[in-house]
Amino acid sequence: MLTGQITSAILGVALAGAILFLVRRDHLHGPYAVWWFGVATATFVLGVFPRLVVWLGHATGIFYAPVLPIIIGLSLVLLRLLKLDIDRSKQERRIRRLTQKLAILEQELTRLGGVTLPEAADDEDG
Amino acid sequence: MPTPCPPPLAAADCLAVIPARDEAATVGAVVAGVRDALGCAVLVVDDASTDETSRIAREAGARTLRLSFGLGAWGATQAGIRYARRNGYRGVITLDADGQHEPASLPALFEARSRSGANVVIGTCFGRLSRAKRIAWHYLRALSGLGLSDFTSGLRLYDAGAIDILAGPEASLLDYQDVGVLMLLAKNGMRMEEAAVPMLPRSAGHSRVFASWPVVARYLLHTTVLCVAQIDAGRRRHKPLREEPAAC
Repeated sequence: MLTGQITSAILGVALAGAILFLVRRDHLHGPYAVWWFGVATATFVLGVFPRLVVWLGHATGIFYAPVLPIIIGLSLVLLRLLKLDIDRSKQERRIRRLTQKLAILEQELTRLGGVTLPEAADDEDG
Repeated sequence: MPTPCPPPLAAADCLAVIPARDEAATVGAVVAGVRDALGCAVLVVDDASTDETSRIAREAGARTLRLSFGLGAWGATQAGIRYARRNGYRGVITLDADGQHEPASLPALFEARSRSGANVVIGTCFGRLSRAKRIAWHYLRALSGLGLSDFTSGLRLYDAGAIDILAGPEASLLDYQDVGVLMLLAKNGMRMEEAAVPMLPRSAGHSRVFASWPVVARYLLHTTVLCVAQIDAGRRRHKPLREEPAAC
């Protein structure tokens, strides 16, 4: 029979392992990896030392201490989502500008070479 | 300090930019009409069409840019504006490829510009607005603070100052050539003027903004957020040029 402590410790270790694996396979890059590794570490530490939650609850004035990690977790998830959308917008801007630049350069290339390039629709990859 | 009067703009120094997606049926006649009316270079920006839009535009005497995937009407227009800036054009005229803008009315934009000295002239058909559009425009006018009567008209004349602003990265995340573009211009101190022009019924295709009710709702929601975020932009007051004749 597993205690809650062991369960959350296993969850933390599994999460940390999965994240290291994803970084190793190049699926998660730099800042994302650091963030998720931090999440895994926190899960692991709080899992192994549940008394930390009780102590934090007292320190922050939240009387029903178990709700504290949920509040913190949800806030962090929201922050993460916000950052994700900011990054997505930045990338969208870059993709749009690159697409425009590509079309302009293709036109210049055609004009300089005097030949018409084959239609570019086929190389669309998503 | 008087606002400097923008230098005169000749049609020959301008590039006509026509964003087009699957407009093979009309784009040839539009290109020919613009070339006849203004005698300026014409650039058709093919927004990843699946038909012969690019080829027909080229045969009608236009240059073409072909986007690898669809960026929407504004993304295509901005590609044309960036092309104009890169190639030293001093003005850009934008119009729709579906044939609803009468090429013969294009000189009216230049007349309005020389009369008012505005950086941006918008070709507006005051009679064409449906009831739904009138309500939407009234709402957007109140929200944006821009004193204009038509926000989505694709018939516009931009001078070099406006081109510099619209070619930049700040304009790249906009989706339509409408309130967002106008607010960005207003924020940067550009003056806008409207010119009344006749508008023909669309001979093919459909409005990208007023396609269906869910699309309109989404459009109004996006635009509302944009207007609220930029609440100060449209309400900036500029000294009208006419008060400073000495500056011209």
